[in-house]
Amino acid sequence: MKKSFLLVVALLIVASMLFACTSKSTSVLDKIQTSKKIVVGTSADYPPYEFVDEAGNKTGFDIELMAEIAKRMGVELEWVDMPFDSLVAAVASGKLDMSISCFNYDEERDKTVDFSEAYYTTEDAFVVSKAFTGTITAPEDVVNYKIGVQSGTVQDGWLTDNLITPGLMPEANLSRYERVDQAALDLANGRIDVLMADLVPIQAYVAQNPDLMVVYQGELSTGPINIVLPDGDADLKAEIDRVIKELQADGFIDALAVKYFSE
Amino acid sequence: MNFNQFISYIAQGTVYTIGVTLIALPSGLLIGTILALLYVYGGKTAARLMNFYSTIFRGVPPVVLLFILFFAVSKGINLSAFLAGSLSLGIVSSAYQMEIVRGALLAVSGDQMRAARAIGLSQMQAIRYIVLPQAVRLAIPPWSNEVAIIIKDSSLVYALGVPEILRRAQLIGASSQQYLLAYLSAAVIYFLLVFLTTRLLNLLEKKLTIPSHP
Repeated sequence: MKKSFLLVVALLIVASMLFACTSKSTSVLDKIQTSKKIVVGTSADYPPYEFVDEAGNKTGFDIELMAEIAKRMGVELEWVDMPFDSLVAAVASGKLDMSISCFNYDEERDKTVDFSEAYYTTEDAFVVSKAFTGTITAPEDVVNYKIGVQSGTVQDGWLTDNLITPGLMPEANLSRYERVDQAALDLANGRIDVLMADLVPIQAYVAQNPDLMVVYQGELSTGPINIVLPDGDADLKAEIDRVIKELQADGFIDALAVKYFSE
Repeated sequence: MNFNQFISYIAQGTVYTIGVTLIALPSGLLIGTILALLYVYGGKTAARLMNFYSTIFRGVPPVVLLFILFFAVSKGINLSAFLAGSLSLGIVSSAYQMEIVRGALLAVSGDQMRAARAIGLSQMQAIRYIVLPQAVRLAIPPWSNEVAIIIKDSSLVYALGVPEILRRAQLIGASSQQYLLAYLSAAVIYFLLVFLTTRLLNLLEKKLTIPSHP
């Protein structure tokens, strides 16, 4: 009896996997154009790229950009808020049509989803407390200190690939946080010495927290940021890339950058 | 951003917290009670199966089940984040609630069942009129524990972006950069929810007490 029950469970699991593997043959673009609606995921806890304003509405660089993309595609925009860690899985499993949430290109992510053309370029920053007595002049200097990073980000990947895997620093010195603000709180509390994060959002955080400062900035792990698209959907990618190029050409993205990053 | 806006924004998430609880808790109780009855009175094979069920689902973290339901299973059956969360919590909770009800059933002395059968009640009647009424009373204190756990565990659906209390605290914490205040507000709201619910259950427990019965 127990054995047959196990067999049933095993069969159910196999069936659900087969079900999950059945790939969609039609482009998500067709679905978007038929329903006149695009479902986009973001993690609205990352000012100034995506955050909620005082009225509780989503706003930010990515949010306004995506609104304009939807407008130029002539479709309605539906936002789905989700923690950053869940976004790639949600696009890969078809729960979202795409996701815009300050994503950098990353080989691991590229295995399950596609990336649009870059719509902007970001930099990395190392942040310390003003009470910090060490010196960081080059990125490799951080191996001497306890460092914090948001898990699953490109910064996490950079630290792991360039410092931990070659054995330059022990893994125990790296603390991975679910969110960058948690790492920033630990930095202020002295549990870590250095925080590695995206420059623009962490600058906004530092401006609010005068005890912290940026000691180094540069393009290490980051660089171009892209929209995350379903894997292998060439039609959708072509359409999104077309609109991004249009927005770059007519100065919309530059104007948005001035508005949110004062660059 | 003033304090009132802060609290009212986070408190709007209470709807989802209560919603998830109201689905997970009763469904877990219903399944748990049926399974507990099968466990105790269903013979050896049923007991073994129930033991297997409880071992599996007490061994899986609700958030893992949540991701399985949302990202893998619901490709076929399109579950919303809210439903996937409520169901996974309900399933995990059913295993715990089964053990609670089973404990209560076993705490009612076996002599009572034998006595009931001796005076001519069928097993179903004995369960319905003799054992269950006593077991329900015994189950309330451990069950109120489970209720408190479910209310707090409902925060897990934040992982799929359901705008409940915790996710709202994160969002407003990020935009205002006042994380401490945001998380404290969330903690206060959760505390009030659990406090009020356990108080209500205490009242229920008192009301149901059989006079001069332990």
